[in-house]
Formats: sequence, structure tokens, C-alpha cells
Amino acid sequence: MKQVAYYKGCLASLSAKELDISTQALAPKVGYELIELESVTCCGAGDIHEAEPDYYLHLNARILSYAAATGADTLMTVCNVCTLNLRQANHQLLNDAALRERVNDNLEQVGVPRYEQDVDCVHFLWLVAGESFGKLQEVAHKGLRGLRIAPFYGCQILRPSKLMGFDDPDKPDSLERIIAACGGEAIDYPAKIKCCGFPIIQAREETALAELIQPIEQAKEAGADAMVTPCPLCHLSLDAWQSKLKKQTGKDFQMPIFHLSQLIGVAAGLEDAELRFKRHVVSMQPVLEKLAL
Amino acid sequence: MKVELKIWRYDTSTGERALRPYEVDVTEEATLLDTLDAVRDRLDGSLAYRKSCRMMICGSCGMRVDGGAVLACKTRIADVVADGHVPVVSAMGNLPIVKDLVVDMDPFWQKMRAVQPYLEPRLDRATEKENVVAQEQMDMIHKESLCINCGCCVSECNSMESDPDFLGPAALAKGFRFVGDARDGATIDRLERYSEEHGIWDCTRCYFCNERCPKGVDPRDAIAKLGAEAMKAGIDRDMGARHAKWFVTSAKTTGWLRETELVPKTQGVVKAIKEIKFAMSLLPKGKIPLPFPPHVAADIGESRALFDLVTDQGRSGAAGIVQGEKALMHLAHHGESVDGPSHPYDDPRSFPKPYLPDEEPAT
Amino acid sequence: MGRGTAVAGCPVARRPASDRFQAMDVSFDVLVVGAGCAGMRAAIEAHDAGARVAVVSKLHPTRSHSGAAEGGINAALGNKAEDSPETHAFDTVKGSDYLGDQDAIEIFTREAPGDIYQLEGWGCVFSRNAEGKLDQRPFGAAGSPRTVYSADITGHVLIQVLYEQLQRRMSEGLVVFEEYFAFRLVEDGGRCTGVICWDLLHGGVKAVTGSATILATGGAGRLFRATTNAYACTGDGMAMALRAGLPLKDMEFMQFHPTTMYPSGILITEGCRGEGGYLLNKDGERFMKRYAPNALELASRDVVSRSETTEIEAGRGVNGSVMLDLRHLGPEKILNKLPGSRELAMTYAGVDPIFAPIPVRPGAHYHMGGVETDEWGLTPLEGLYAAGEVACVSVHGANRLGGNSLMETITFGRRAGRHAAEYALGRTAAANGRAETARADAEAWVDGLLAVEQGERPWQIRDELGQSMLENFGVFRYPDKMDRQVGIIDELRHRYGRGVVIEDKGTVFNSDLTQAIELGYLLDLAACMLQAGVVRKESRGAHSRPSDFPERDDENFMKHSITTWVDGAPQLSYREVRMTKWEPMVRSY
Repeated sequence: MKQVAYYKGCLASLSAKELDISTQALAPKVGYELIELESVTCCGAGDIHEAEPDYYLHLNARILSYAAATGADTLMTVCNVCTLNLRQANHQLLNDAALRERVNDNLEQVGVPRYEQDVDCVHFLWLVAGESFGKLQEVAHKGLRGLRIAPFYGCQILRPSKLMGFDDPDKPDSLERIIAACGGEAIDYPAKIKCCGFPIIQAREETALAELIQPIEQAKEAGADAMVTPCPLCHLSLDAWQSKLKKQTGKDFQMPIFHLSQLIGVAAGLEDAELRFKRHVVSMQPVLEKLAL
Repeated sequence: MKVELKIWRYDTSTGERALRPYEVDVTEEATLLDTLDAVRDRLDGSLAYRKSCRMMICGSCGMRVDGGAVLACKTRIADVVADGHVPVVSAMGNLPIVKDLVVDMDPFWQKMRAVQPYLEPRLDRATEKENVVAQEQMDMIHKESLCINCGCCVSECNSMESDPDFLGPAALAKGFRFVGDARDGATIDRLERYSEEHGIWDCTRCYFCNERCPKGVDPRDAIAKLGAEAMKAGIDRDMGARHAKWFVTSAKTTGWLRETELVPKTQGVVKAIKEIKFAMSLLPKGKIPLPFPPHVAADIGESRALFDLVTDQGRSGAAGIVQGEKALMHLAHHGESVDGPSHPYDDPRSFPKPYLPDEEPAT
Repeated sequence: MGRGTAVAGCPVARRPASDRFQAMDVSFDVLVVGAGCAGMRAAIEAHDAGARVAVVSKLHPTRSHSGAAEGGINAALGNKAEDSPETHAFDTVKGSDYLGDQDAIEIFTREAPGDIYQLEGWGCVFSRNAEGKLDQRPFGAAGSPRTVYSADITGHVLIQVLYEQLQRRMSEGLVVFEEYFAFRLVEDGGRCTGVICWDLLHGGVKAVTGSATILATGGAGRLFRATTNAYACTGDGMAMALRAGLPLKDMEFMQFHPTTMYPSGILITEGCRGEGGYLLNKDGERFMKRYAPNALELASRDVVSRSETTEIEAGRGVNGSVMLDLRHLGPEKILNKLPGSRELAMTYAGVDPIFAPIPVRPGAHYHMGGVETDEWGLTPLEGLYAAGEVACVSVHGANRLGGNSLMETITFGRRAGRHAAEYALGRTAAANGRAETARADAEAWVDGLLAVEQGERPWQIRDELGQSMLENFGVFRYPDKMDRQVGIIDELRHRYGRGVVIEDKGTVFNSDLTQAIELGYLLDLAACMLQAGVVRKESRGAHSRPSDFPERDDENFMKHSITTWVDGAPQLSYREVRMTKWEPMVRSY
């Protein structure tokens, strides 16, 4: 069992608790002991990076520092946006000694340990599609019974690729490999690497919905039973905003949306209480019925 | 080397569209542009595409390979056709096609002009000689001044695809080139203008622009810099700005995003009330977590103290983003590292060490 | 919903915006042909002088080849070390191998600093020194670090700032006809009254007229297979002027830049050597010490190119190249001062200069010759001006100094714009009676070109021209090779004259057509260059005859060659060099 520091981020702490619960339940099965970080805050979600960039850097340095303090060399995330924000800050600190010194001095001044021991920040997806892929294949024995799953990556786990670098940003395959390993069938469609519209869904709803409809519509047309995403923000827009799409376009997709940990969790035989599908807005029932057959 | 590729042809006079296959011989080091030249010379003289410098500086040859925008002159064809892949070459996206791989760049330039793309000199800097500006100050706009107007960022801009009026990554990066210029005297005016609908706050942060830019401009970062400068200047009426501000407030007060309050803080109470029906539909699913009692992170005092501390250190606004660019430069283009052997002469495979004719050659 | 979305890979097509030309008064005070640094600077000046200005350019302005200039722009600001316009002038005269016109050079170096300050005031993103003033770097054959720069993308930042200023004036009435390929001058009553263009985007032959016309179309590097020049550099302005009966000056002088990458010919800036880079032969020897013991790598370009060629021909090269070594400069300097060169080397030579030297060799770079003008850019034809590489004022003589060409575009672009505006505003509009006739003639000619169905494709002739010019009229010129090249050009011109097949018969973005026309230009200019080169029986600057005339011959050849087009062939005469205070001396570095 490998110890990794676990940063769950805002949504998994709040509206997407099912992501946290299923991740915590699944992690040991694929070889990870999660050390949950207590003294941490929001990564800023790109918003603080835009509003107060210097504060953004310090907030993330603080998270990295507490991750390093656990003694683990890996900080695991379950959200695209957290992954980009932490990796970006981490890269800046690791490659600019003067900047790191300044940030560390500031951390120290407010009582946060200096960020000295480097940690690598990775998304849960990269762990299970990478070093633990063999374990995943073992635990996914219950299988998805040929369920047709549309993988939806979202943006900030692929781009900018010079900061992310796990998947080919234009032809990613980690989700496809996981779906296949879980006994599902991965559906291919162009919008799987595009934006779900989440960052502007409140400020520019019309534009955001025009983005959101693309993956859902394409996945539906390609015959997907459900979609899966590694990002709770994508999940929120894909799941909760479908009703808005219906209102705007009259199209009622009723597309069930899995969190990555839930999809693997189903294949690995997690219990209902560990999956918490009842927390989804779009009913997961049709998919679960197919699986029950 | 034999190369197979397919090209989306478009004939203006007939409106006919066709995906045509081609096979040509090119040298190992040939670029996509060289390959297109070979197609036009030897197979079909009617193939249309733009080109000029063939050295990544004129910005003429933006086009798509397998749906992603590239500069044809920067793309080694051998890399594209590795493992027998047959690439599909087409015109850039988000711009109307004129013929084959040639797009109408007029909408691109219209947006460029909309950001007032020229310096408005600060009167108090008038001088007989040059303005005196520190290099560190000029570094603020280093990346944005690399832009060659090729349109690759615009091609896959997700916001622009859904909102064709969005100013877009190239024009906004150009905007920051002036906002970040110490010699410009119209900063506030610009920030007001760029903060309007279809401006800064319409970016959906898909990062396609950073991914596609062949010159390392990173337009999304430029948009973030504009946002940071706008907030610093107190120009925060837009819902996008208020959305961003609420994250800062959340981080300072509870540590975690105060999700439920985000809607009224972004949209204002009146508009938020209209959303109540939608909100109520989410409530039973736990998607609207109750704000009370607040979910407060441990040691939140540290987060607040950090905020107070760093706001006094002169890195507010865009400077807070620019300070990280030196490190990002080490990512180099597409992953090559600048960290190699301790000294390049030490590598036994390296080229001989330099010597002058009156010295002994190095061994 | 999903506005503008498309099935992946399948492009969404739409016709371009309607052609605004038809609805416009296309008669202007000043018409500028070409929109690189010289063209845009001229247009800005003419506009500011009150003229109604149009710019016609076969490329969008920011695509112009000025943008590919890397190392910098020379002006004696004295920001780094003591300097003066006089020192700058002397360096330029000496660099020109005493063929430059000294009065023009003095004007040039005197006005350059003011022009730089103006560019900076417009917002040009130049690199700064520790005091926050404009930094200056050493360049070849310069007595003082005089080259103002922006890392290694100086041309790019100049093009950007000029286009910014042009856009500002576009909102005040200045008109830009982008992607208009000018291919003929209109002459009426001994005056130039405009140009005939092919509209690339919409198709069709169109006349744009002006009381004054400024040619700013750049050079003709595409004559040579190994060249730093863009595909667009096909000598259009020189050839148009030649065919209209105007004299071209010093056409035999083509500068070969010492550091162009193998095999593409892509430029690596002289700034690499200015920042301390070495040139090495295959053993690692800094061979320049043997050819220019004082200046070494920073000798003038003709000297360095000859030295490299000698090394390569003596078997001390690496795959027909020598090596440009930056390794000792270290990553920080390379990343901060030469990032563009690093990117070019990595992309086109597969070499990261932090770890390995870049293979380089001489490649055709800059034409010292061009349309003869006075110091205001005025040609012998009333109403016609020329500025930038298309022109020969002459400030470069037989060899141009690095950093002087960008400066020339600005200073002489400005002067031409000013003079042309004053000329145009001081007289009644040009009579345009000839414009429609000339347009109709040109249209019939284009139709004739498109009608050719049988024959060879132009690219074969283009490739043979480029290859043979490089082999027979390159860094060193030998009598037998030049004779052979004269024959080759005759043959190629004959083949071209029989008619070449343009496969694209359409009107929209027909670059097959425009490239065929450009090839005709190149062939005419090659004939001019060869003739002038054969007759110049001396070695001066970029014209080097090691086997038969290895020395400079001031007595017989300190004079400009003048080429005019008579009955379909070039005809040669000479003009004296204008001297002020510098007598010719032995030139060594």
C-alpha cells in the first residue's frame, strides 16, 4: 500500500461528496492509503489565479507544503482544476529558486512550514491509468458488462500539456483504457476533449450551454449509456445543467454521468453507500438496471 | 520519403467540398509546408494555402492537422505520419473558409482592431529620446509581444465557437500587450472596454489557445493577467469578475469555496432569485450545500494572514502571474529540458571544444 | 445552440466578405506597394503629412519578410559605448567596400537615432540596458556596439509596432488592400500613376492609382535555392520598374549571410556572434582568426561568408557546413537573448544550441542592388519612389552591414513617404486616362497566361534557376561558371517564354498564377545580375572573383553598375560613386 497525500478540493468536500466517498472507498483496493490533508484551502480554481495571482501562488504553496509534511512524495487530486492549479504553482516553485525562497519566507511568517521536500501532484486518473493499472485490472472483476461509456476528459487535465503531460492532449486514451479494463465499451466522439462550459456557466450561461450540449449530444448520438469524467466541475455541469439544456433546446438527454471513481467502483463491486448515486441529478437508475441484468 | 495525406478541399465557385487523398515524395526533414508545396507542384496546382517565411515568424500558414491548428512550417511531416498515420489537413476553425486551406482572416483583424491595438502614449513620459523603462517592466509583456497573428489560438477557441462575438485569445493577448506596457496611458479605459460582454470574462478557460499557440504566447494567461489588472483597478462589475472575487473571499474566510453563495454573489440577488426554481431542483441531491454552519478549513487564520501579507508585497495584479513565467520558460517548447549535462563539453559525444588557431586543439 | 459547431475535421465553409473594392474611390494621393517595414513607415509618414494613402500588398502587412529580421537595427545612440553618426557612417562606407554613396550614408546615420526614438515612442518592444535605456549589442564590422534590438526578433517587433500605427491611421482613412498582388506600373505622360493588381482573395485584375507611387516590395532572395528569404521575396518591384524602363543599380551584389541553417537556408542571426558565439570548423578551430585576426567572427558578412566557404571547400567543414557554437554562452543567455534562434535550431536542424553547435553555411540574404533612387527615394520616373530592399540609394554599396537594412527601411521609408506626400499634395491629381487601358491590357495578358494548356509546369524552371544560381553565382564567382550560368538563364527564359502551364484556372486565391508571374520576374532579374557580374572584373564586397580578379580595382570599377531593359534584354552602363570625405582604403578586419 502506497501512502499518498490526498487533496480533495472544494466540490468533493461539498456538493460532490459522492466523489470523495467513492474515492476513499476505492483507493485502498487499487493500492493507495490516502492521507487526507486537513489544513488546506481551495486551490483557487483559476478564479484566484485571475483575481489575486500572487495569493493563488501562496495558497497552493501552502497546500503543497502540507502535502510534503505528510512525508508522501505524491499529492493526489480528484479534480482537473485542482490538478492544473497545483501543478502550475508547483512547477513555478520547483524551477525558480528565488521565487520559492520568497514564497517560503511568507509561508513561514504566517506559521506554515516551508515547502522544502518536493512533491509531485497527480490526478487519481493518472495513478490508476499508470502505475496501478495492473491493480485496476485485478479489482475490476465485476465488470461493466459491456456498458457503452463515453469518456469525457474536460480541459484542465489535458491542457496545457506542457504542465500536464500524462495523456496526449489531442488523442488521450487513459479513460478509454480504464473503461476497457472495467469491461465497458468506450465510445469515441470529438467533443470528449472540449470544454463543458463550467467556468462561465454562471456569468455567461448561454455560451456555456452551447459548449455543454456538444459532448452530451455527441455521446447520445454515438449510443452511450453513460458518460464518465475525472472532474467534479465537469460532472456538475454535465449532470446538474442537463435540465437547463432541456429547457433551452427541448432536448431531454437523460444522460447518466459517472465520476471516475464511481465507474471503477461499480466494476470493483463497491457498495451503494460507497457510490452514492442518489446524489446525482440525472438518475443513474437505467445504467444500474443494465448492470443488474 | 513517401507521404500520404488527405486534404479537405473547398471550391468557392461550386461550393463543393471534398476530402482528397494525396501521395508525394519528400525529404526526411520536410515540413508539412514542404509537403503541401510538393502536392501543389507535382500533383495539383490548384491547391490553395498561404505561406511566406517558412520559419515560424510571418504567421501565414496556420491550418489544422487532424483537427488541431498548427503552423505548417513548424510541423515536421515525418512526426505526423509516423506509424503509417494518414493525417487529415483542413482549414483553421472559427474563421470562414475562402478556398481549401485559406480562411478569411477579416473577423480576426476586426477583433484585433476592437482592442485599440496601438500605444496611447502617457503624456508625462514625453521625451526627446527614449522612454526610460526597466527591462523587468518590459518583461511584463514579453510573451504577448511574441504573437505573430497566425490565428491558431482562435481556431480552437471553445468560447468563440459558442459565441462568435467573443474577442478571443489573440485580440485579448494583444490587449494585454498594451495594458502591461508602462508607456501606455489608457490602461483604465482599456480594462473597462475589455471587461465588457464578449471580453475578458467570456473566456471559458479551455486552454486550447495555450496548447495551440506555436510561439509560447499563452493567450489564456494573458486573459488572466487582464482579469487581474481589471480587479486591481476595481473594475469588477462583470459577473465573471464577481465570480472570481467570491473565490478570494471564500479562501480568506472559510478556506473552501462557499458554493451556495456563489450564485447570488456572481449574478446578483435579483437574477439569482430567478434561478431559485433551478436551485430547488438540485437541493434534494445535496448539490446546494447549506451555507450554515459554514464548512471551515482547519487553521484558516493562516490563509487570511497570507492574504494580508502578500497584498503588501507589490506583486498584485498581472505581476503575480508574470513572476512565474521564468520557471515556465524552463518547460521549453514541447518538453525539451534545458537541464542537461553539467557542462555541454563534458558529454563525450559532444562536438569538439573550441580552440584558436594558435592553440593546441582540445582532445 | 451549438452555433458554429461542426463535425470534427469537416470544415465549415463560407464565402468571404463581399469585395469592397467596387464601392471605393481607388484613386489616392500616395500609393504604397508593399507593406513591410519600409512600406508601412512610408505610408504612415505620407498619411501624417496629410495625404490620402493606400497600401497595396500581396501579403497581409504583418506577414511581410521584414518581420523575419532578427538581430537588430543600427543607430548611433551611444547607450552602451561612445558612438557617433560619423563613426556609423565610416563603418558603413568601409563595409560597402567604398561603393556606397557617402552623401546618402551621412544622411542615413544622422537621422537614424531620431527614427529609433520615434519607434520607441510608438511602443516598440526593444530590449533595455541596466539603466532602462535602449540596449545596444555589438554587430559585425561596427566600431561600437550600436545595434538596438529586441532579443532576436527585432524585425518582428518592428513589423508589429508599424502595423499598430498603421491600424490607428486606418481608422482615420488610410486604406490597406491586403493580398493584392501588384504586377505592373501604370505610366501616363512621363509620370507613374499607379499599379495594376491581381486581387488574390476575390480574383480579378484591378487598377489602383495614386499621384505618387512608392515601391517597397523588398528583395529577390528566391533567386537562390539556399536563401534566408521568404517565398514572397521575388523581386516584384525591381522587375516591374525594370520593365517600365527604370534603371536598376548594382544588381550583381547579393549578400550571402554567413549563418544560415543547413539545409533549409533559414537565418540564424548575427546577434549570436554579437553575443559571443564562435564559428568552428570540423576540428573545433575558430578559423576566423586566420581570416580576420582582429574582428574574428564579427568581421563583415562578405568576409565571414568567404572564410566559411574556403573552409568548407578545403574539406574542413561538416556536411557542407561550419558550426556556430553557442555552448559557452550558457542557458540563461541563450534563453534570454537568443530564444528565437534556439527555437529555429531545434525545429529545423534538430539541435539545441545549449548543448550542441548549429550547422550553418552562407545563404543568399540581401540584395544590395535595386531600383536607383536619390536620397528621398525618388526614381528617375516622376511620381515613382522606392524604399527599402527594393531600392538602391545606395547606402550599402557592395556589402551591407548587419543591422543597417532595418534602419534603412525606417529612415528611407519615412523620407520617401514625406517627399511623395508633398509631391502629390502639391499638384493636381494624376491623369488616370491610362489606368483603365492598362488594366484591360493586363487582364488580357493574365487571360493569356491562364489559357496555356500544354507545356511545362513553372516549378521545374524555378528549381533549376535556384539551384544553378547558387552553384554558379554564389559567394565566389568564377568566369567559366558565370558563362555557364548566362547560358542557363537564357535557356530558362526561353522555356518560360514558350508558356508555362498554370493548373489553377480559378479566380479565388490562385497562387499558381501569381507564382508563375513571380518566376518571370526572377528570370529577368537573374539576367541583369549575371550581366553586371560578368562585366565587373574585380573583387569588391559581395562580388568576389578569386581566380581571375581577386583584388579591388578602384581605378576602373569604383562605380555603380546601371542596368536598363532594352528590347527584352538587360543593358549595362555605369554611374560614379558620390563621395564626401572618405577616400578608399585597404579593407581589413
